Amino acid sequence: MKKSKYVLAAVGLASAVSLVLSGCSGGGDSSADASSEPAATSGEVTWWGYTPDTPVAERYIAEFNKEFPDIKVTYKNFENVDYRTTLTPALDSGKGPDVFVLSPAGGTPDLWGPYAIDLAPLAQEKLGADWESKFGEGYAKQLNDSTGRLVSAPMGGMAAGFLWIDQNILDAAGASVPTDYNSWVDTCAKITAIGKTCFTMGAGGADTFPTEMFHSIANSVDPNFFIEAATGKAKWSDPAGIETLNIVKKMRADGIISSDALDGTQYPLANEAFMRGDAAMVQMGFWYTQYSGAESCKTSMEAAGVANPTCFVQLPAAFPDVAGKGNGSAYFGEADYGLAISADSPNIGASKTFVSWMTMSTTGQQNVANALDLLPALQGVKPDFASISLVDDSVQKPAIEELISESGSTTQSRQYQTTEKTLDAIVIAIQQVLDPTVNKSVDDIAAELQSSSEASTVGAN
Amino acid sequence: MTVTTARPKTSAPARSGHSGPNARGAKRRTSHLVPGGLVWILPGFIISVGLIYYSIVYSGYLSFFDWGGGRSKMIPAGFDNYVQAFTDPTFYTALRNTVIYFVAVFAVQVVGGVLFAAVMHSKIFFANVYKVIVVIPVVVAPATLAPAHIQAWQTDGTVNQILEAIGLGSLAQGWIGQSTTSLVVVTLVGCWGSVGFGFILFYAGMAQIDPEMLEAARIDGAGNLRLLFSVVLPNLKPITISLAILNFITALKLFDNVWLITQGGPAHSSEFLGTMIYAETAGTGRNLGYAATLSVILLVIAVSVSVIIQLRSRERKALIEETPDV
Repeated sequence: MKKSKYVLAAVGLASAVSLVLSGCSGGGDSSADASSEPAATSGEVTWWGYTPDTPVAERYIAEFNKEFPDIKVTYKNFENVDYRTTLTPALDSGKGPDVFVLSPAGGTPDLWGPYAIDLAPLAQEKLGADWESKFGEGYAKQLNDSTGRLVSAPMGGMAAGFLWIDQNILDAAGASVPTDYNSWVDTCAKITAIGKTCFTMGAGGADTFPTEMFHSIANSVDPNFFIEAATGKAKWSDPAGIETLNIVKKMRADGIISSDALDGTQYPLANEAFMRGDAAMVQMGFWYTQYSGAESCKTSMEAAGVANPTCFVQLPAAFPDVAGKGNGSAYFGEADYGLAISADSPNIGASKTFVSWMTMSTTGQQNVANALDLLPALQGVKPDFASISLVDDSVQKPAIEELISESGSTTQSRQYQTTEKTLDAIVIAIQQVLDPTVNKSVDDIAAELQSSSEASTVGAN
Repeated sequence: MTVTTARPKTSAPARSGHSGPNARGAKRRTSHLVPGGLVWILPGFIISVGLIYYSIVYSGYLSFFDWGGGRSKMIPAGFDNYVQAFTDPTFYTALRNTVIYFVAVFAVQVVGGVLFAAVMHSKIFFANVYKVIVVIPVVVAPATLAPAHIQAWQTDGTVNQILEAIGLGSLAQGWIGQSTTSLVVVTLVGCWGSVGFGFILFYAGMAQIDPEMLEAARIDGAGNLRLLFSVVLPNLKPITISLAILNFITALKLFDNVWLITQGGPAHSSEFLGTMIYAETAGTGRNLGYAATLSVILLVIAVSVSVIIQLRSRERKALIEETPDV
């Protein structure tokens, strides 16, 4: 009797310890076997992501179900940070999603790649031996892990380095789209005269959106500087880096950058100011194109707190040539994200059908193109404007077509070749330059940026 | 002194009972019950206490690796993470901010708590209404109030509007977005939320003071202030020490208000250990090894300070107990 109690206790102890340990240990790598499982035409698929927005994902799924009605796809959207903190333990437990969003940024292919099957065989089966060339330039490579496995099939690409303008505010102010530094100052003077913010920006907090403005200004100073500095071929404290930071400082002093820029982050501060119609300009990437839609603009304005919104005409515009050297400011872009299939998924067959349809079929990619959220990953697919309703077709359609054309031919990466440490260091440098209470010279701030950064080895050769 | 030595004597009969007539039965009962009880609580004990200590030990283990989490490679880092922490200026900014926050919030909590408690113990109208008003900040979740704090302190927020309305527009500034004022905002928000908690404890503590003691002081001619400083406050000392410990631990672990209002910025000016750990855990460039290192350092600081306070309080107690004999 006594002995049996001790045995019972030992069993309880062993169970408890195993419970604790199993919660913290990995589940092993079964991706090799899972890659060869054939696609299926029925089943259930759970899909997790921080993007796209739920309404967009539901449209994708509805179109997918027209071809595959027996595959039920359930999408769950997370905030960025929640996604990172939720996905890893979910995948570790073996009860995570079947399909999950995996981007090329910040070493993510190596972080979550071990949980994903290699999608190269699937891509070869669907697109042929030259499948890599069927995707946008570099997209497949960017979604490889360090062992060369395609851990995520590119859903689409994105570009950044341009402004979005509220044409209604510019018209009301009698202002024109700025093309260089001086015209930007003039435009801002006219816009602030009618009680609106000229250029809204959220450079506070810890997110890395401010690096896009830094990148754009740097491209105006020297088109090669940013990537060279990011990959260690130049120093952030070189004259081009110092000039870039000086321009940021001047933009704040001359009223181009709003005085509340450090009050918060780009989302929600700048996004809401622009969507509420309080600000005439904001720097956002290609994903902002989706809010040009006659219906999606209402949703985004309502999300920014506008009741019964009347949509305004938002247009992309090139980042002004603020350095005045005639360089313009080249766009930069890369694969935005792809879809990965969990190696532990019990629904790999159905997941393969879903992922290959979304990323490798013309029909699936046409939906991506029409959502105006991403540049479609598959080359040759373009938005069908006949099925897209914009706020003002006559003005927005040509502007968006031009944006797509230029975004598809970028020669610089956005963040793929920049380490997280460097991105954080740039954010700190910008915050110090914009903060009127910081008593440091721009040279010192640039030197600190250089010492805090870490050169990327991605594409350095 | 005599009291403390007498107390063990009063408990001695219970122990000496083992040698009495029932000693054998009592011993048998004890040996029969204790292992059985232990058996049944063991799984729960392991899961609750074991999990906590397992996590601490596991954090210590992780602190010697560079690791992004999940199935990414764990790269042995030796003491590199500790070296990184102790050579990182942001780490020292976080420690400095912790001390400033602790001192400011503790001071405001004690002064504000005692004042409100004293006022509420006097005969004032609508005392219950005031009590609710003072306590509300304690019970409302930081996440609920953070947008209101941001609205109040942002560049075009309420504080600047008030300053401009009363002719002090020159003082208006971007409170959240400046390195010199972001910590002030975080600390003031902490003060605002902590006074109510101090009030609850001090109010209860004052209610425990023997009315005869207060009456005796009054008969001796003590006025209200004299009564407060010579009778009431000395009796509230244990509460004050408890608040000091709680506030220090709160400052060490501080995360929610800071992250929601400033995210530790701008340029790390309002960084705390809690926000540093979170940024390493949930950021895109996450390094759980470094986050674990910071957690271990936080734990060491918390335990060290607790031990020091405990030892100091024992020394002080011993001194007080010895004083009457002298």
